[in-house]
Order: sequence, then C-alpha cells, then structure tokens
Amino acid sequence: MSRDTIRELDRRTLLTLAGTAGIAGIAGCSTTDSDGGDGGDGGDGGGSDGGDGGDGGSSPYTIGMIDSLTGSLSAFGERNQRGKDLALAAVNEVGLDGRELAITVEDSESENQGGVSAAQKLVNQDRVPFVIGAVGSGVSLAIYESVISGTDVVQLSQNSTGLGLTDFPGLLRMSPTGRTQATALANIIADDGYDEVALTYVNNNYGSSLADAFKNAWDGDLAYDNPHDQDQQSYSGLVSEMNGSGADAWLFITYQAEYATMVNEMFSNGYEPQLYGADSVSGDNVLENTPEGSMDGMKIVVPSAPVEEQNYQDFASQFESEYDEAPTAWSAYAYDCVVTAALSILAADEFTGAALSEVVRDVTRPEGEQVTSFEAGAEILVDGGSASDVDYQGVSGPIDLDENGDPVGFLQITEVQNHSYEGIGFIEG
Amino acid sequence: MVLDLLANGLIYSSIIVLGSIGLSLVYSIAGFANFAHGDTMTVGAYSALVTFGAVGGLGGAILGLPFGFFVALAVGIAMAAVVAVVTEKVVYEGLDVGSIGLLITSIGIAFVYRAVIQMGFSSDFTRYDIQALRPIEALLPYGIRVTEHDVAIFVSAVVLVTGLHVLLQYTDLGRKMRAMADNPDLARVSGIRTDRVKLWTWVIGAGLAGAGGVFLGLYGRLAPRMGFDLLLVIFAAVILGGIGSVYGAMLGGVLIGMINQLTPLLSGVGALLPIVPDGWGIGLEYANALAFLIMVVVLLFRPNGIAGDGEGT
Repeated sequence: MSRDTIRELDRRTLLTLAGTAGIAGIAGCSTTDSDGGDGGDGGDGGGSDGGDGGDGGSSPYTIGMIDSLTGSLSAFGERNQRGKDLALAAVNEVGLDGRELAITVEDSESENQGGVSAAQKLVNQDRVPFVIGAVGSGVSLAIYESVISGTDVVQLSQNSTGLGLTDFPGLLRMSPTGRTQATALANIIADDGYDEVALTYVNNNYGSSLADAFKNAWDGDLAYDNPHDQDQQSYSGLVSEMNGSGADAWLFITYQAEYATMVNEMFSNGYEPQLYGADSVSGDNVLENTPEGSMDGMKIVVPSAPVEEQNYQDFASQFESEYDEAPTAWSAYAYDCVVTAALSILAADEFTGAALSEVVRDVTRPEGEQVTSFEAGAEILVDGGSASDVDYQGVSGPIDLDENGDPVGFLQITEVQNHSYEGIGFIEG
Repeated sequence: MVLDLLANGLIYSSIIVLGSIGLSLVYSIAGFANFAHGDTMTVGAYSALVTFGAVGGLGGAILGLPFGFFVALAVGIAMAAVVAVVTEKVVYEGLDVGSIGLLITSIGIAFVYRAVIQMGFSSDFTRYDIQALRPIEALLPYGIRVTEHDVAIFVSAVVLVTGLHVLLQYTDLGRKMRAMADNPDLARVSGIRTDRVKLWTWVIGAGLAGAGGVFLGLYGRLAPRMGFDLLLVIFAAVILGGIGSVYGAMLGGVLIGMINQLTPLLSGVGALLPIVPDGWGIGLEYANALAFLIMVVVLLFRPNGIAGDGEGT
C-alpha cells in the first residue's frame, strides 16, 4: 500500500517535470509542438494526470470533482458517482471535438478540511479549470472561499442547497436553493389549514438557514421553535416539548438518522401529530427503521427531477439497468453537472477557467435552442453555434443558472402513504 | 410532565451507568482512561444485531422483547468482553508508555473498532428488527409515557449492577479487585495474581459496556459512532462520581443521565428568575453543556468527585 503511494508520487513528480518541460517547449516555440495546435492550454498539458502529456490533440480534457465518497454524506456521494459515470459515458460516446472528457475525483470526507485539501490538489497541482463540488453546503463554501475565490476556476456544486451560496455568484450549483423549499413548506402547511406549527431544526448552518427561511415565509404562529444537536441517542425530551407546545402540525428540518429516532420516540410516546419535513428527513433508511404506519400522512418537499420528461425517463431506465435501483434527484444533479461542464468546454474558446466561466451559464439558459442531451447540444456547438445558441434542459430540470449561480428550483411534494413515499404534486420555484 | 421526564431520565441513566462502571473499573485497575470504551459499547450493539438477525425471536417474549434478543444481549456482552481482552493482550499489555501513552493508544484503538464496524455495516444507521411498542396504558394517567422496552432496559441494568455489587462485596475475586484498585503493589506482594484480576476487570468492564451498547441500540439507534458520541457524557459521569470508584460511577451516571433528560424543565426558567427576561430559557441543545457545568461546579467543591477519596489520583 505505502509502496504504491510512493510509486504514484514518483510518477506524479515525473509527470509534473515532464509537463513543465512541455510548457517550456511550447513557450520556446520548439518544433516538437507540431501535432498540438492548442498552444493556449499549456496549463492542461502540465496538469493532466492521464500519463500522456506528450500528445496534445488526443489527450482528454481533465476536470475535477470533489465528492463525499466517505463520511456522513457518503450516501449522496455514491449517488453522485453513479450519475457522473453515466454522464461521462454519454459525453465520451460523442466526444468533445475528437477529444475525451476525464474527471479526477477527490474525496471530501464530507468535511470542510477534506474538501479544501481535495480542491487544493485539483486546482494547484492538477490545474483543472473546472471543479464539480461539493455535496455539503458548508464544504462547498469552504472550498470556494479558501481555494476557488480569486482564481478563474469554475466551481459547480452538485448537491448543495444551503441558502448562503446564493450570496456567492462565483459559486454555481445544480441543486436548487433551500429558500424555494422553505416557502413551499410554509404554503403547504397553511393550505392544510394549520395556523400554528412546532418547528425543530438541526443545530448547524443547514438547519438554521432553512429554518430562518421558513420563519420568513410563515404567517401563522410558531408554537415551538428550537434547534437540536446532531448525533444524540435520545430526542425524547424534544418530542415531549413539541407535544407540550400544543401545535398539531410539526415540522422537522434535520437528517435521516436523527429523524428516524424522533419518529420512534413519537411512536413509543403515543404522539400522532401531522408531520412535515424538509427533503433531508426522507430516505429508505428512515422507512426501514421506523414502525409501519408511524409516519402516514407526512408531507415532505424534495428537490425533484422532472419525472414526466422524456430525457429523465431515459436517464432513469438507463440508471436502473446499470445499478438495479431507481435514481434520485441527487444522481440527476451530478449527471447534469458533467454534461454542463462538457458543453461549456465545447462552447468556450479555450480550455481555461476564464473562458469556461463566460459560457457556463449560457449553455443552460434560454434564448438558445432547447436540447435535452449532450449529443444534441454538441451538434449545435460543433456546427459553429455559440454558447447562447444552446439551452440545455437537464435530467434534473430546466437548470437555467442565474447570475447568482442558482438554478430554477423544481420540487416535488411527497406524502407518506402505507409507509412509502408517494408523489402528490410538483412546484416550480 | 415531570414524572415523564424522571422516567426517561431513569432509563437514559441506566445506559450511562452501564457504560460508566466499566470505564471506572478499567481506570482503577489498568490505570488509564480508556477512550475505546465507547466503541466497545458499539461492538456489543452490533454483535447483538448480528446474533439477533441469526437466531430470530425464538418464540416467546418478555416485556416486549423476544427471547432471541436476550440471547443476542448475552452474545453482545461476550463479544465486547472478548474484543477488550484481545486488545488488552495484543496491545495494551505490551505497551510500556505510561498512562498518557495508553490513553492516546486507546483513541487509536477506538478508531480501529469503529472502522471495522463501518466496513462491515456501512456508516448508515439501523435498528434491531423488533416491533416498536406503544406506551404502557396503565401509566398514561400519571403522564408517564414509557414502553415495556424501556422497563426492560431499566430492569436489566438494575440486575447487572446488583450482580456486580454482589461480586465486588461478597466474592473472592471482588475482594481482590478492590484490593488491587486500592494499591496494586501491595496486592501483588500479598500474593494476589494481579494479572488474572486485571483480565477479569477487562471482562467485567467491557461486558457491562457491551450490555450498555445493546440497550443504547434498543433505546435509540445503531450507528458506528453511537458509543463514541456517548463517551464524553460517560466520562462526565465517571469524573463527577469520582474516577476509580465503581459506586461513584453509578451515582455519577444517574445524576448525569437525569440532568440530561430533565433539561426541558428549564425551558421556562426565565419566568421564574427575577432579572432574566420571561421568554428566556435553557433549550434542549444545551443539555450536555449543562451536565458538564454541574460537573465542574461539583468538582470545585469536591475535587475528587462525589465518592472520591481524599487522595489525589
């Protein structure tokens, strides 16, 4: 194991040296550069980890991806990787003007520190101009603030829904902001005829920002409003306080493990309120670990893929045949991140962060022709079309990245019926 | 409300007590704070999960728990003990690094336990495949909402703790353990085989932790971090009670568990105090902070904990 690492390091050092020599060669207008024709991206030659820095024209375009392969968000990471693999296959089937797309994946360990070191490696060592990452909103922000900000590298988060990301226009994301979710929840609870609600949220940035957004959108009374800590073994005090508040509608903004524990405690305490939840409380692991019927009638708002669209259905059936399970919206976001990156590379004048950041929004938003696959988009771009001639309609929704780097939200309302999640409607934010 | 919280406190305390006794025992005889203790609880819980999955319910049930669960409990206790003894034999015994070195080593061991569990069971949470229960009807008029499972946790903890008390006070091994905890050198020159006593200490301490872990899983959920997340609270209980003292650990465990679960009573504290504004209260998210605060205050007046003796440790 350690021996391998050493060997790899040696190889990397060697590659870096070779790359540096390559750049020096280009700079000196050496004749060995005859097959390249893309002198503009010398940085790519130096950073590409592919092992063939020498033969410019056919070497892949390498971008980076920071994912939660391990740690508390590893369930998202796995879904992301599946979406990414499918997208990469679709892109490379068509090719990027004769070249391939390669993605160097680094693990954030679902932690800020891990994410920042992964980004440093990708940006400073591999010199990728485009980084897909990360999952957790805190991790995405940490990466942006300490590595990306100040460079011209494009960062596109695949799964962050934190509200704070809107304030950083340079930090793009594929998943919709939580604000649409909070507004939708407030409307649903009011529409169901409740004028007071008991709210609890996980004591971190995600929980408190979503709770604040909900409180802004909610016109009724807040009978209970308290955070709870993550990873506690018992929430019995919490559920009895919520019961004590007298509200009949309870809203949970927390994670699956915490929520499953709370449901079990509500069940064993005999409480039966009307439940509402943010997307992070839903999951098969919650259904499996709560008593049958304990959540029936619960309504949850989840970021959703446009399940009625043809391109999503194609994606879903391909996903199912490959992995033997239905995809979630989180896989679809990762898929669209890769396709958006690939379209940007085709649309951009050169493979640099500055050029990519000029076109990345345009390939996803209107005025251009609506395309639902990479192949269709690539056709327009290869025929001489510019970024504004393409409007990619992703498998996760219309995307339409705005100036803040946020996509148009596409949400589904699901209800727990007979202990499983059933979709009962869509909201476009 | 108060009765309900007290009942919950008793159940939560039962688990803390099972964890803290082992930690205190090992400290008094092996001489270091074992940070792998929390993950020993996790080992017990997951062993029980596997066993229960394999043996199933086995017919009847006591207090809503199938017979198979008690088999699983026994296996959980045994596995936790075996793992701890193997670790002691392979790692701790051969290390001659003093108590700080052993403490740091035990943190490493904790990571190893957790990593192995994570490899086998993923980092996701799970629960035993036991039907969740509704609160006991007879107690509802008093406002107490506990299930038969909660009662089972409490009763089992009482049985185990009583067993330990009998062992320590009335058996030969117990006397030797107490002798060794007081003064290991004197115990050895008196002819006590201290190595053997030490091994038994590990068995008992880790076994109780294993039982605590099994109940922790029944009470909340199983996850690879479950034991480690509880460890700080257990340390607070042990130190509050007086580290090294088994009875202190029991007392500390009950106090810390109670404070933790009774925190909701303080949510309206602003209305009772004169200067503080009415809407102000201590929220649930401060339950652990409050427990530690009380620990610090107690230690200011009794530096060796409630049951600690006069000597510094």
